[in-house]
Amino acid sequence: MIRYLLKRLFWMVPLLVGISLISFLIMHLAPGDITNSEASFNPKASEESRQKLRELYNLDKPIIVQYGLWLKRMVKLDFGTSFASHQKPVFWQTKDAEGNVIKGMIQEALPITLLINVLSLGLIIFAAVPLGVVSAITQNRPPDRAITLFVFIGFAIPGFWLALMLMYWTGVVHDWLPISGIHSLNHDKMSAWGQLWDTLTHLALPVFISGLSGLAGISLFIRNGMLDVLHQDYITTARAKGLSENTVVYRHALRNAMLPLITILGLAIPGLIGGSVIAESIFAIPGMGKLFYDAVLMRDFPVIMGILTIGSALTLLGNLIADIAYAWADPRVRRGVM
Amino acid sequence: MERPLLLKYLSLRMGTLLSLGLLLTACSKEPGGNAADFDQSYPPSSGGTLIDATAGEPSGLIPMIAGEAAASAVASNIFNSLLKYDKNLELQGELAQSWSVSPDQKTITFKLKPGLKWADGKPLTSADVLFTWKLVTDDNTRTPYGSDYKLVIRAETPDVATFRVSYANPYAPALDSWAGLQILPEHLLKGQDINTTSFRFKPVGSHYYKLEEWKPGERISLVRNPNSTQGPPRIDRLVSRFIPDPAAQFLELLADNIDSMTLNPIQYSRIVPSREDLQKKLALYKELGNNYTYLGFNLKHKPFDDIRVRQAINYAIDKQELIDGVLLGLGEPVSSPYKPGTRWTNPDLSPYPYDPNKAIALMKEAGYTGRDKEGYLLRNGKRLSFDILTNQNKQREMSAVLVQRRLKEIGIDANIRVMEWASFIGRFIKTGDFDVVLLGWGLSLDPDQYSIWHSSQQAPGQFNFIGYNNPRVDKLLEQGRLELNPDKRMKIYHEFASILLADSPIVYLYAGYGLPAIHKRVKGIDNPAPPAGIGYNSYDWYIPPPLRRNEISQ
Repeated sequence: MIRYLLKRLFWMVPLLVGISLISFLIMHLAPGDITNSEASFNPKASEESRQKLRELYNLDKPIIVQYGLWLKRMVKLDFGTSFASHQKPVFWQTKDAEGNVIKGMIQEALPITLLINVLSLGLIIFAAVPLGVVSAITQNRPPDRAITLFVFIGFAIPGFWLALMLMYWTGVVHDWLPISGIHSLNHDKMSAWGQLWDTLTHLALPVFISGLSGLAGISLFIRNGMLDVLHQDYITTARAKGLSENTVVYRHALRNAMLPLITILGLAIPGLIGGSVIAESIFAIPGMGKLFYDAVLMRDFPVIMGILTIGSALTLLGNLIADIAYAWADPRVRRGVM
Repeated sequence: MERPLLLKYLSLRMGTLLSLGLLLTACSKEPGGNAADFDQSYPPSSGGTLIDATAGEPSGLIPMIAGEAAASAVASNIFNSLLKYDKNLELQGELAQSWSVSPDQKTITFKLKPGLKWADGKPLTSADVLFTWKLVTDDNTRTPYGSDYKLVIRAETPDVATFRVSYANPYAPALDSWAGLQILPEHLLKGQDINTTSFRFKPVGSHYYKLEEWKPGERISLVRNPNSTQGPPRIDRLVSRFIPDPAAQFLELLADNIDSMTLNPIQYSRIVPSREDLQKKLALYKELGNNYTYLGFNLKHKPFDDIRVRQAINYAIDKQELIDGVLLGLGEPVSSPYKPGTRWTNPDLSPYPYDPNKAIALMKEAGYTGRDKEGYLLRNGKRLSFDILTNQNKQREMSAVLVQRRLKEIGIDANIRVMEWASFIGRFIKTGDFDVVLLGWGLSLDPDQYSIWHSSQQAPGQFNFIGYNNPRVDKLLEQGRLELNPDKRMKIYHEFASILLADSPIVYLYAGYGLPAIHKRVKGIDNPAPPAGIGYNSYDWYIPPPLRRNEISQ
């Protein structure tokens, strides 16, 4: 077991290097660099000073040399500093000579994205499992049809449109929920409960919107898994033993139908750090999606590479965790792997 | 039956929950409910909070380093320059009490006002000005804006209240450049690396406001600076919320959570006027920015080297149609490369009228005599066909569509290509690999446009990327830089503008209005806006106490 783990972890290293090289090359395929950003298209900004910036950021060197420099830093887990936001550390905070702490960009953006994604993943599973089960046991009857229709509408509806409509309805027409942002202006002056409530009301719409599109996939997944399992011989056996329908469905069928969910959850781990650009922009949430999108627009290479590297490392880790969890949950797989 | 009931129940529950937890909407409601009459006039008074929204978050508050508009907008309330522009766009002293230009026009001497202080109470002297000049011209400073200041060959401080700069040659844009350089405190920045110093997150300035709090990703709030060099402003606190999406900003404005934002033409002339509740609380303003939108030709490509083709296209485009269609009438036609209504704009010029027959005649002169089956003009059996390149900008995309249709009417085949900004610049502008672009210029207030039109400025990455080359214009631009007398300078730039219009290297499309909407609780705003825009006297704006938001826990 330990050997298997070590082997998997060891092979992740060359894989990561390969992924980063490909990402680096693709990133540089897009024309332009930080000195082409809209702000620098100002007649007051001279080409000499922009060339100087390019040299300071090593952008005048061949791509492969730039990659080498980047890799050299990464070996020491140094994600570097951002071009666009003037030397802000990309990943984690640094301290300057006088003890002023400057926070990292990913460090600032990650917690809120993680919170929203964990909440919406929780919401998805909380809602998708019952919906999927009900769908399966009432297959092709009205409840199933209604649920399928509902989840597909949720999937198909454009998130930004629904978000704006809900913001208008709950924030402007009625004064139920705040419209955008993650805290009220007087958040700091509230009691602890007030602060919690304030944050929760701010997060309600973003979590709902980002959960809605995932709901369709997962609930259909559960539905099909259940249908598969319900036609197995051991379910017939269970019924033949005279077990109650509830025991058959929830004890015997659901547990087996849930197995593939483990893989999905494993694959969802890297998704947890990637925010949705649209939801984050509309709700003015300073999260990872917006950070990445802005970095791409500004050609802020260290930030792009930082997020891609963390994302790919998490993807590989997520796969590994899913495999292990699968082996843990399913004895058949366990014998095969170890 | 069941669903609506359930919804009703839920909303009731929500309602009670919300009124129980009143804390959370504490500052979003009107005092006295809907009864407040925002049109009533009140005497000026001090205090209150103004909340606005900006799309971008500054990367730091040292404007020469940060460079983006969001940073300058906040920093302009924190830092002073030596000079500033008044409401009529004439230069005026800000930190400087007075300034004088030597008879040979090569030396400028600034006298600082007496008793200037930084927000932390330390004196602000000419040493700070010298320090800032050294910073902006230092090779290690990562700023794209150093070039104006590098022309200074000697900067000195004869005494604590005098700052003197000398140039090798007279340099007319110099005064404008000293209105643009915000002075930084030497005592806090000496010995630090300006590119990485944490001063950019906790700046200390000398202007009306000082930084109160910066919540990354959420907002910046500024509070009145008791040591302000310009006297106290009326409003206590300015809060800027970062809301990237304009639709979300508008919803926040409707819900009264922000006091001001810049509207788009549809919101301005359709949505707000059609709703009585909005008219009651929002005041709409319009002000011209110093920018215009144009269609630019690559003069190194055939057939755009032919003035007749360029003029034909100019005649073929209906500029009023663009203003009416794209801006809903909220724009001005342009015929000089300057802000309409300022002294640099040549009043004798007017745009090329919409005249398709003249356009066709000019095309014929240029050799486009034939027509193919689809009606496109042919020269030597080939149609005039090109791409109009533009970036992802709704107004520019819409303009391109209207231009495309008008060109098709006279038989020119134009396609539209819309691109993301950095690719656009990197792949097409820098390499000169384009035929026609639809872009805009945002300009400083000084009329010098050497970097855009002088024939020497055509290297990759420089701004004369269309390849304009006219010896007379070169000469005028050089003269304009040497002439510090405003009246003589004006004549030079008027001639420059009229040559430019006749040469038609670009087709001026329009200058759009900036359309701020500000809650009527904010009083003291000039309407109509003076040439400098409504913001010139923002320190004099006030919010009468009865109209302020409830600021419960303060």
